[in-house]
Amino acid sequence: MSTQLPQEPETESEPETDAETGSQQARRMREKAERRERTRTEETPDLSDEETRVIKVFRYDPEVPEKQEPRFDEFHVPFEKGTTVLDALIYARDTYDSSLTFRHSCRQAVCGSDALFINGSQRLGCQTQLGDLDEPVRVEPLPHQDVVKDLVVDMDHFYEQMHAVDPFFDPDETPADPMVEQSQTRANREKIKTSTRCIWCGACMSSCNVAAGNNDYLGPAAINKAYRFAMDEREGSEKKRERLEIIERENGVWRCQTQFSCTNVCPKDIPLTEHIQALKREAVKENLKFW
Amino acid sequence: MSQSYNRGLVEDFGRWREFSAGMWAWVFHKFTGWVLVGYLFTHIAVLSTALSGPAAYTGTIRTLEGLLVVRVLEVGLLAVAVFHILNGCRLLLVDLGVGLERQDVSFYASLILTGAIVVASVPTFLAGVSL
Amino acid sequence: MSERYSSFEPGGRRWLWQRVTAAFLVVVLAFHFFLLHFVHHADEVTFAMSAGRMETLSYYSLMVLFLLTATFHGVNGVYNALVNTGLSGRQRTAVKWTLVVASVVLIVQGIRTANAWAGISLV
Repeated sequence: MSTQLPQEPETESEPETDAETGSQQARRMREKAERRERTRTEETPDLSDEETRVIKVFRYDPEVPEKQEPRFDEFHVPFEKGTTVLDALIYARDTYDSSLTFRHSCRQAVCGSDALFINGSQRLGCQTQLGDLDEPVRVEPLPHQDVVKDLVVDMDHFYEQMHAVDPFFDPDETPADPMVEQSQTRANREKIKTSTRCIWCGACMSSCNVAAGNNDYLGPAAINKAYRFAMDEREGSEKKRERLEIIERENGVWRCQTQFSCTNVCPKDIPLTEHIQALKREAVKENLKFW
Repeated sequence: MSQSYNRGLVEDFGRWREFSAGMWAWVFHKFTGWVLVGYLFTHIAVLSTALSGPAAYTGTIRTLEGLLVVRVLEVGLLAVAVFHILNGCRLLLVDLGVGLERQDVSFYASLILTGAIVVASVPTFLAGVSL
Repeated sequence: MSERYSSFEPGGRRWLWQRVTAAFLVVVLAFHFFLLHFVHHADEVTFAMSAGRMETLSYYSLMVLFLLTATFHGVNGVYNALVNTGLSGRQRTAVKWTLVVASVVLIVQGIRTANAWAGISLV
């Protein structure tokens, strides 16, 4: 539920003409324009007649001398039912400090770019209601990843781990007729359904205590990715064996200590621990065959 | 991306107030595990006084068991062992993929059960010791 | 890229054994506590009573198995905990062999004690 629109000069169309249509869109456009007008005229907007919330945002920028020492900045943002943490951040950036940096894109928990550490827990900014949180709301970059600037963390290691499990479909044989679907049974679909929901936001990895201590551990997201393909009945047997070999290496599934941190924070409610446990059993079964 | 800021270990155990059930279960299981393995070595060391003959063994154990401190420590050991057993059963179920949605409930259950068993055992454990 | 996560030691076997010994220990440890604190009492321990139990073959073998599984479970748990802190290379090898030696000493000492009660003399 976002009330903001992208800040582009072109969108500064005449609010009067839009208002005639009376649509939600037009109302928001008008509010936006008014707000921008206000910012232009005065240094800080007058929020005294509005309900507000306080957010404390982590600030750090190695390229600016004043920001090399990390600190928290406080912002007062307007609040109404439905305001999310991402809305608050966008407001703070657009209104107070255009240098406030954070990743966001779709604003509806699909792109996975705004995973943040909000009030001590990994959550998506766009999915977290400001009204559900205790004040002041602390917004920090994801723990266990290096901070590049403000709320932006370096995701390279996470992506590298995701790629380490060969996250692609690789069947033994494909139908001769390219127009034929490679279908899957309903039961099998149910089995892997939740694992396909991963949006690569990195919240699980950031919450994992083991991954924090040992950078070589594959981590929940990558293992879930392996589960998604290894448990798919259409996967080729050779590929499945290879995949199990990757995840059952020393820094694969065995490092998981079933702390359930990843399962607790996953914004898409993927039962990550359950999938990791299933792969452990699968690997044990595979090994017992060779004994 | 020339420079980045590493926040260090503050992110881990400095955040203990925000731990959830699964994390606490892990912390307690680790801690009780260390205590038990430490006790295993001590236990064998004390028992091996039996190698020096019956009198030495009986004497050593009687002396130790006559101390209130030892008895209190034994109650602590019981608590540690019972929790490790109960949470161990919980973990075996987790490994078998049973009841993963209820893992927090089973953790609280093992805590409560541990408390109950320990309290109920105190009279037996402190029997026959003088202050 | 997956080579980075490779190792010559697949942890699966130790993982399984940790669970197998756990299932055994849950029962035997509970029995051990019950027998030696509730059936017999702490202040009544004598050499003769321990010897009496150990002279039974079933009790003797149960206790030896208890010692072996407990040592494996405990020492392997310690090793895992240390490895999880990111221990690697020479340090890990050193820790591993220290733990192996400690286990062997513990098991030998434990069995010698049990033999003293059971009246078995090997030498």
